[in-house]
Amino acid sequence: MTAAALPGFPRPVLRRRELSLLLAVAGTLILGSLSLGLTRTGSLALADPAGLVAYLGALVAVHVALVVAGRRVDEVLVPAVGLLGGIGLLLAERLPQDLVVQQVGSATLGLASLQLIWLVLALVIAAVVAITVRSDRWLRLYKYTWAALGLGLLLLTFVFGGETNGSRLTLDLGPVSGQPSELLKVILVVFFAAYLAENRVLLADARVGVAGRLTLPPAPYLLPAGLMLALALGIVVIQRDLGAALLFYVVFLCLFYLATGSKVDIALGIGLFLVGFMVLALVFPHVRDRVATWLDPWADPLGTGYQTIQALHAFARGGLLGTGLGAGLPMIDGHLPIPAVHTDYPLAALGEELGMAGVLAVLGCYLVVVARGLRVAAATADDVRALLCAGLALVIGVQAAIIAAGNLKLIPLTGITLPFISYGGSSLLVNGLIVGLLLAFSDRGPAPPVEPRRRRLGRDGA
Amino acid sequence: MDPLTLALWAIRLAFLAALYVFLALVVRALLRDVRAASRDPAGALGRLVVVASGSLPAVGSVFPLDAVTTLGRDLGCSVVLDDAFASARHAILTFRGRGWYVEDLGSTNGTLVNGVPVAVALSLGFGDELQIGEVRMRLERGIG
Repeated sequence: MTAAALPGFPRPVLRRRELSLLLAVAGTLILGSLSLGLTRTGSLALADPAGLVAYLGALVAVHVALVVAGRRVDEVLVPAVGLLGGIGLLLAERLPQDLVVQQVGSATLGLASLQLIWLVLALVIAAVVAITVRSDRWLRLYKYTWAALGLGLLLLTFVFGGETNGSRLTLDLGPVSGQPSELLKVILVVFFAAYLAENRVLLADARVGVAGRLTLPPAPYLLPAGLMLALALGIVVIQRDLGAALLFYVVFLCLFYLATGSKVDIALGIGLFLVGFMVLALVFPHVRDRVATWLDPWADPLGTGYQTIQALHAFARGGLLGTGLGAGLPMIDGHLPIPAVHTDYPLAALGEELGMAGVLAVLGCYLVVVARGLRVAAATADDVRALLCAGLALVIGVQAAIIAAGNLKLIPLTGITLPFISYGGSSLLVNGLIVGLLLAFSDRGPAPPVEPRRRRLGRDGA
Repeated sequence: MDPLTLALWAIRLAFLAALYVFLALVVRALLRDVRAASRDPAGALGRLVVVASGSLPAVGSVFPLDAVTTLGRDLGCSVVLDDAFASARHAILTFRGRGWYVEDLGSTNGTLVNGVPVAVALSLGFGDELQIGEVRMRLERGIG
């Protein structure tokens, strides 16, 4: 590759590490597809080779686009996310295709085809954002505008939204429908990052004594954040999207701790959360049912406790190494044991077919994404960007942790998606946006110029 | 055992193993980055850690030091001190040979090293405390 670039065009930057990691991802996914194909057909064949090739092609296209764009952005995020997405695709191929059916034009698309389309679109968003976003001014300058926009979207959903599983989540705008609370998580992180960075010193140092040695930041500086959070939580609770409420609250606490380093505030925050949760459980029968199901799913094994019990059975059947892709999930009366397996319980399915080893590897991948995001945050030049990157990475990590814990019956199940693996257009696209922003903000600036090769006078005999 | 079952077992285990190989590769990449960061030349000579401060910089801030580092309220200084008692160009830290030296640049309120005012260029050891206005900073050894 020549060092001389065309004027106006950036010099391409080779990304060897990303390429080698992507090769490892490709190998892994091919093995997984072989395993599924062998179980299903009894012969050595890939399951859905076209889909696999299309997905790997999209990953390579993202890699090539980043190389050509010549920005020195993170090289681990794309492969890590690519592996998670690929596992999600394998799972979608493995599940019955009629779980989700959508008519696109004249073609009827099943679960795997739709998941593939959303995944590729998410990768496209990630690449476009990673290549084009250079400044975060447009994010930080208009933080209240963004916040208003996000809340407006939520209100719109509340008024016009359609109900799924007892929650008003989906907004249908003609042909387009989506879940605005997915986008709201990015908008809230932007708002919190800009706001906390601006008031960091005040929140941390200008403290007012409350009782004894207990101090709090002065109320005027705490109020906007508290109000914003209460509003978001209120709407989300009214919409009965408890998972999103929990996610927002945990991410807010994490960012607050990152900004101020105050352990007292975090303890207070957790205390407030516990009190709030008890009040919620007393007021809303919906929340009370969730908690009751969590504490004793066997009280109503064929009703509310059904999914929880089946998920536990799935993990138990999987054991250490799993039953193998395609070999688990026996049908009960022609139905899947876990009806919402593709959205709420993908981890239970993975637990059954890949075993504890597979689940731990998947959780390890999320850990890598979070670690990488925090590293990007630590390397940024200023507070807003640092908090923004940390918040975006934590959104993915905390969301994965909440739904994984819900699947394992460690906490009451809340209906949020397992990032990059669950089926769901809004979720995949927004997670693509998050990866794109993390990539864009991990830019290490232009590469130092390549030194011209010096002629060695002595040896050339000049 | 028929060969197909055997092949299935092998492929299943290989798939799980591949997941962990990928994770191992990623972890190796992460570790390499951490080591590279600790070899980063920025701040290799030393760094200033803020231990007490009236306003800005906040307590806990870390400034990697160049061989010549100016301190003061002026925005052109390498370390900007937003302190009411600091002069525009207050003091200068220089790395000469093997150690750090501090000089006061004729500031109004003076520069203190471990509580003693600096009169001439004074040698500064790692762990010494530098005070300008209300800001107290500790000189620490650089990473790596």
